[in-house]
Amino acid sequence: MRTFSYVRADDVDAALRAITDEPNAKFLGGGTNLVDLMREDIERPDTVVDITRLPLAEVEELPDGGVRIGALLRNSHLAAHPVIRSRYPMVAQAVLSGASGQLRNMATVGGNLMQRTRCLYFYDDAAACNKREPGSGCAAIGGFSRSHAVLGASASCAATHPSDLCVALAALDAIVELRSSRGTRRVPLVDFHRMPGDTPEIETVLADDELITAVELPPPPSGVSRYRKVRDRASYAFALVSVAAALDVQDGVVSSIRLALGGVGTKPWRAYQAERALLGAPATEESFRAAARAELADAVSLPHNEFKIRLAESTIVAVLRGMS
Amino acid sequence: MSEQGIGAALTRVEARDKVTGAARYTADVVLPGMAYAALVSSQVSAGRLRSLDVSAAKAAPGVLGVFSHLDRPTWHRVPAIPYFGETRMPFSDDRIHHAGQHIAIVVASTRQQAAHAAALVKAEYEAGKPVPTLEKALPSAYVAAQGNYVNFPQETVRGTPEEALAGSPVRVKAEYRTALISHAPIEPSVTTATWEGDELTLYDTSQAVVVHRGLVATAFGLPEDKVRLVCPLIGGAFGAKTHVWGHTLLVALAARRLGRPVQVVITRKQMFTTTGHQPPTVQRIEIGAERDGRLRVITHDSTNSTSFVAERPENTVLSSVATYAVPNLRTRVRLARMNFGTPTAMRTPGDGPGSFALECALDELAHELGADPVELRRRNHADVHPQSGKPWSGKNLLECYRIGAERFGWHRRDRRPGTRREGNDLIGYGMATARRVEHHRAAESTVDIRTDGGVVVRTATQDIGGGTLTTMIQVAADALGVAPDKVTITVGDTDLPPGAPTFGSITSGSNGSAVRLAAQDARGAAIRLAVGDKGSPLHGLAEDAVDVRDGRLFAKADPRRGETYAVLLTRNRVNPLRGNGKYSPAESQYETSTFGAHFTEVRIDRDLPRVRVVRHLAVIDCGIVLNTKTARNQAQGGIIGSIGVALMEELRQDPVSGRALAPALTDYHVPVNADIGQIDVHFVNKPDHNSNPLGAKGLGEICSIGVSAAVANAVFNATGRRIRDLPITPRRLL
Ligand SMILES: Cc1cc2nc3c(=O)[nH]c(=O)nc-3n(C[C@H](O)[C@H](O)[C@H](O)COP(=O)(O)OP(=O)(O)OC[C@H]3O[C@@H](n4cnc5c(N)ncnc54)[C@H](O)[C@@H]3O)c2cc1C
Ligand code: SF4
Repeated sequence: MRTFSYVRADDVDAALRAITDEPNAKFLGGGTNLVDLMREDIERPDTVVDITRLPLAEVEELPDGGVRIGALLRNSHLAAHPVIRSRYPMVAQAVLSGASGQLRNMATVGGNLMQRTRCLYFYDDAAACNKREPGSGCAAIGGFSRSHAVLGASASCAATHPSDLCVALAALDAIVELRSSRGTRRVPLVDFHRMPGDTPEIETVLADDELITAVELPPPPSGVSRYRKVRDRASYAFALVSVAAALDVQDGVVSSIRLALGGVGTKPWRAYQAERALLGAPATEESFRAAARAELADAVSLPHNEFKIRLAESTIVAVLRGMS
Repeated sequence: MSEQGIGAALTRVEARDKVTGAARYTADVVLPGMAYAALVSSQVSAGRLRSLDVSAAKAAPGVLGVFSHLDRPTWHRVPAIPYFGETRMPFSDDRIHHAGQHIAIVVASTRQQAAHAAALVKAEYEAGKPVPTLEKALPSAYVAAQGNYVNFPQETVRGTPEEALAGSPVRVKAEYRTALISHAPIEPSVTTATWEGDELTLYDTSQAVVVHRGLVATAFGLPEDKVRLVCPLIGGAFGAKTHVWGHTLLVALAARRLGRPVQVVITRKQMFTTTGHQPPTVQRIEIGAERDGRLRVITHDSTNSTSFVAERPENTVLSSVATYAVPNLRTRVRLARMNFGTPTAMRTPGDGPGSFALECALDELAHELGADPVELRRRNHADVHPQSGKPWSGKNLLECYRIGAERFGWHRRDRRPGTRREGNDLIGYGMATARRVEHHRAAESTVDIRTDGGVVVRTATQDIGGGTLTTMIQVAADALGVAPDKVTITVGDTDLPPGAPTFGSITSGSNGSAVRLAAQDARGAAIRLAVGDKGSPLHGLAEDAVDVRDGRLFAKADPRRGETYAVLLTRNRVNPLRGNGKYSPAESQYETSTFGAHFTEVRIDRDLPRVRVVRHLAVIDCGIVLNTKTARNQAQGGIIGSIGVALMEELRQDPVSGRALAPALTDYHVPVNADIGQIDVHFVNKPDHNSNPLGAKGLGEICSIGVSAAVANAVFNATGRRIRDLPITPRRLL
């Protein structure tokens, strides 16, 4: 661990000023990811700007029936919020399936979006890793690749995005609101995270001086929704595969479907191909399986993660079957 | 159960301190002028250090000293006992044998300064080509000659195994693998060292203060009495603290060089890489049997990894040697060196991985024969020790099977795999036998009765969380005839009478026997004092006409006639009255083991196949149970640990470099509460007085042996899939 300075911002403008003025600065949310990475000498900010006092921790109902979630809302408060629980149960389920109670009490919504991969080599400073040291190579491809992505990987990086929350947000067409001294912009969550390509070190479209201020959810899709996570133990483990689904069936036919996957993609993975295959199809096990296969047709496996393709297929089918 | 103590379900005496935070662990030791150390780890797994630049670290704030192989530490001698076990002393040269190896120690005024400066040490390596994994090491596997750890037969032959195999009407043959697993106790290893002239005191997380003292003395060339080891309480060990590891010696070295006390708390990462692990094993078993299930022959070939600085075979094959009555047998253990830290004992060494292979193979045989797994084991019960032919000191294994099958509802098992379902869940039952050799060790204790009626037990054993403090108090209370709350105990200090190590399930039997002998000695002395004392109401009675209860000595023939220890000692001005106990295990005509049977129910979602152990029952025969509460606790913990071994524990290695990947509790999975279903433990609870005077035997290990096989066998029963590699993750079941 290196020495660093700590400043605290009490309002958004102060935060934006600090991130611009202080050299090599980073925002500090709950610190559950950033501080770990600093201890491992992987993140090396000279300054951390504590933003936990910013007045951005509310859940607001919007006139169109959607909600606006402040970026500094703690994960446990998000999961416990009555509006979220009643109207977006998938979000509450996703959050509660992640980390532990203690971590969720600290972790913020913005930090959850920005958390970095759990690729074991990313954490091992003796290993080659393009994400950590651009151009150094990738020890995972050719190494132990059990936790890695089967969708969206490049020759430079196959790390998964670890968030559960983001998978639900991807399914729900969430919008991320970003602020900088240049103004405010709104980016769909599905475009917020980037594919690794040749630059796996650039993980999101967030600029260095930009602050996530809120996540907005449009009105919930019709039908039932569900988040299901498969992992190596019953709790307190990252997903091998997770599925966020919202399904409506009218007269035995899929009339509305949202599907996103976690644990298998280099970013929170919205399963558009599966959705296309399902919409208007009979709500049967065969359709579900065909849709899952359509999504996974492009999947590419490494030596130890082939099982994820099969597991993703059975999880998608099991979740949709359970909802229809 | 005796009202005086033995068997009573007493709450641990240190429980309150532990839950209120008042308990003092080794890291809580703070000495005047104490400095803090951090250890620098090698990043490569093989080769040598080309250069080590410590200038930036030395210049960092608060730094008092940086030491490495460049300082040429002058170790007196490599301690030639297994509890150090490595052939290379830390910092002796520039060679690297594994990633994580200590290459420098940085000492500073605060822990944070030390950690910071440690990150500034710059090492350049001439990286060698590592042997990264057991898989890659297998081609060079060899049978070790007798040595430090090589203290059991590496090859055993009984009868004519090859002929027996050839002539067997039924044969099963399979290869089983167990993973590289790590103790992962909550408390990391900690050492504080302080010198006064040539006298060294170490506060150390040690499972064996007495053994470790001798070892440290050898390393520094000191007489044993110049070294004192203190270990107040241990926050879990599971074998990680059975040995003296490099950090302990290095901290003592740094403290001597700097002339002030130094403490190190090793990091979680270093816990995974420098304090041992259970090595991965590859085990091949072949069984030949008659059609009625009687075993004709077992062959068991086992290979485990070891490091380049120690030869440590894992005694997996003892399971095959000593569990069943089988006339023909061949076993062999081989070692394969890989560039990883030195393996060590881990609950449960040898029998953990060994019973996994043997008990799964037996299940395969049962399936092949269409026999009931319990019946198959009954049919092959070893009435005497199958290798030596000696009688058992005590064995109630058949009773374990009977009680277990009955309580578990084993008859509901369907022997056709994959047939029992509930909703989307497949349901399976599995079972396995447990057997563990009981080790005996010399141990001493004193028991003092004071004029206020209080009793003090003093013995240099230690409590690693299993309840030893409480059970030793119960043993003393029982033998003296006093209430347990009158007894206090002091352990974990080499200034006390030498007690037994707390590993290998030795403590209850051996140390318990020493405490009992000491208490009996004190009780005898008190009775003698009373009957010879004209002022005593018991004067003139024969010694054996006196009994003691609740701290009061009385005439058996007339219980109203008597007086308390307190009154007797006060009148005679004896304070304290000391009893001495010395337990020295004698050559025995018996073979002593502990036994048990495990029964388990798993449920597995057909689509998303994560194994859930919903119900587990263990029936354990470990002699008399000293405290039913701590024993149940201990057994449940052991079972949970082994469910972890069966389903999730594995320290993954990079296949190229061999480095441990993400050695942290986030990725090294042990069960969480949500993974654990109902766990029932039943004790046969019959004393084994042929084993030791107390009649109690070890529990710490027998409770976890066979669990992983029972789980794997249940998985087979549920799914028809035979998983022979641990852990049984969803990936392996897809
Ligand atoms: C042991 C463990 C297990 C876990 N298991 C899971 C799991 O199963 N599922 C899961 O989804 N997650 C899991 N997590 C991850 C956890 O959810 C994240 O660590 C957490 O959400 C991060 O939030 P934070 O507020 O603590 O972020 P921080 O650590 O404070 O910050 C993380 C990053 O986000 C940036 N940042 C924070 N807020 C903002 C903002 N408003 N605008 C711009 N940038 C910002 C920071 O600069 C930093 O780079 C686990 C974490 C741990 C340690
Ligand atoms: S997969 Fe990505 S994060 Fe992992 S080692 Fe390769 S480049 Fe680094």
